[in-house]
Amino acid sequence: MTEAAQPTPGAAAEPGRFAAAVRSTPVGMAVIVIALIVIFGVLSPNGAFFRISNLSTITLNVAVTMLLAVGITFVLAAGELDLSIGSNLVLSSVIAAKVLVAVSGTHEQVSAGEYPNLALGIVAGTIAAVLAATLFGLINGLLVTRLRITSFIVTLGTMGIGTGLAYVVSNGVNVPNVPRVLQTDFGVQKLFGIAPYPMIVVLIISGVLWYVLRATRFGLQTLAIGSSREAAERAGIRSSRHVLILFILMGSLAGAAAMLDLTRFATTNIGGHQTTALAAIAAVVIGGTSLFGGRATIAGSMVASLIPVILGTGLVILGVPSFYQLIVVGAILIAAVFIDQRRRERLSS
Amino acid sequence: MGVEEPKRRTASKAEFVIEAIDIVKRFGHVQALAGASLQVRPGEVLALVGDNGAGKSTLAKIICGALAPDAGRLVFWGETTAVTSIRHAQELGVETVYQDLALAPDLSVAENMFLGREPIARGLLGSWTAALDRRKMRQAAQEAIRAAGITTLNSVDRSVRDLSGGQRQAIAVARAVMWATTAILMDEPTAALGTKQTDIVYESIRSAAARGLAVVVISHDIPKMLTLADRIAVMRQGRTISNAPARDLTLTDVVTVMLGGRPKGEAA
Repeated sequence: MTEAAQPTPGAAAEPGRFAAAVRSTPVGMAVIVIALIVIFGVLSPNGAFFRISNLSTITLNVAVTMLLAVGITFVLAAGELDLSIGSNLVLSSVIAAKVLVAVSGTHEQVSAGEYPNLALGIVAGTIAAVLAATLFGLINGLLVTRLRITSFIVTLGTMGIGTGLAYVVSNGVNVPNVPRVLQTDFGVQKLFGIAPYPMIVVLIISGVLWYVLRATRFGLQTLAIGSSREAAERAGIRSSRHVLILFILMGSLAGAAAMLDLTRFATTNIGGHQTTALAAIAAVVIGGTSLFGGRATIAGSMVASLIPVILGTGLVILGVPSFYQLIVVGAILIAAVFIDQRRRERLSS
Repeated sequence: MGVEEPKRRTASKAEFVIEAIDIVKRFGHVQALAGASLQVRPGEVLALVGDNGAGKSTLAKIICGALAPDAGRLVFWGETTAVTSIRHAQELGVETVYQDLALAPDLSVAENMFLGREPIARGLLGSWTAALDRRKMRQAAQEAIRAAGITTLNSVDRSVRDLSGGQRQAIAVARAVMWATTAILMDEPTAALGTKQTDIVYESIRSAAARGLAVVVISHDIPKMLTLADRIAVMRQGRTISNAPARDLTLTDVVTVMLGGRPKGEAA
């Protein structure tokens, strides 16, 4: 059956690998990010944009969105969607703040700014944030996999439920007496005066998840489910169980993001994060992950999540109203999805 | 693993690799199978033919663990076995080439060939964190593809989406041959193929049978089945009407049974 002098399957892959990497979306996004930094740096008065403090603030501002973008990359890779990550973040940050304040001292003590059990409170608050958010993700996952309702509808529903619960738990006001030290000693602190601590945490988590998606069975099976759930199931992969784990993972990352948010602002933000999910999903799609599943890149999501923040900061420094960034990011998102669709059509034809 | 000789249960003295006995399956009010039976020996090619809706694909899906029967039993190597899942059937050495091929288009050829059974390098924290052994995947996939006679594919790193219909079909067959140790079920394996590619698939079937694997082929190409298969089983209305050596049958015999006539040699 074999024919003589045929090319060896696999041999052709090696020479093209570098070229493919150069042409990849993450590299393209990195070029855009660098170009934006250079443009804003040159145009800004006295090169204000280039200042380390400014670049450091940009990374601080992007930390939470980047972490959520990394998580949602997995969900999209499997062909699912999670619109509830913003409200999950808000709800779990409220729960975390409540637990943290309650454990850190008596009502009188924390009202007076004294936190005798601060370390214990921080540990308890962090655990509460992650547990609450993981439970939120578990509920999303169970609704999607057991009731077989599409993730778009499930998470649209839980988005509202999460926000409502956050108001119920907090009585409609931000949790008072969150220790300021969370912010001063961690939330805005920078390693060597350059790298914000929250960003370091995000980079470590993202590095682990990059490895998981790129190099492990779990990552490959996530992509397989997104590419063709039927093919994955016929290969013996339990896709429902896998998707459930992905929603749990997404939930736990929203919990981590909630804690980072709490340390960044030393307060809860019950009216905020309404567009966080869309911002994270936009970053993921712009970064090269397919909205239809099967193709995903953590690096692309990370780099692309920088774009809105750089645009916002740059426009402010140039004196342009920052809301122009919404228009630019919206246009980039549409263009990215259009390019993705065209690419798929071309490959399928 | 992979393209090495199948690890057959040589200790078993069972005549048949797989027996499906009186299988019944309903989908709501539709009776898909009404006591279908099938036996296949090691190294035998069994063609399963019948009109549309006869129950061929349903029977194959029950054998490969994709569906559970309502009644009846499956016997593998002489032992009655309740096949609980596709993975279970795979553990019994049964591989399936589905009509829609069941390939993930965004994954590479090598990744598809190992999907669900990916080899991993040793990891410090167990298989969850261990890295895929991509080198092993590539090498085994290359070997399997070469053994299957696929000569038009220049890289196993190519995404399946980039392949032609014929190449995809050939990959699905090569994957089944690579993993099967007991039997291969093929549902219309040449439906989307040209003449040359069809010949390659038929050659793969003969080659798999020569290695001792049982091969069950569902096909509408009865003339070809008469030359390729060792036995031909005809299904009609959810039942197996006849199961006879192909050499004893003609096209007219098979079509007669398919259309409701009596099997050859059966008294009126």
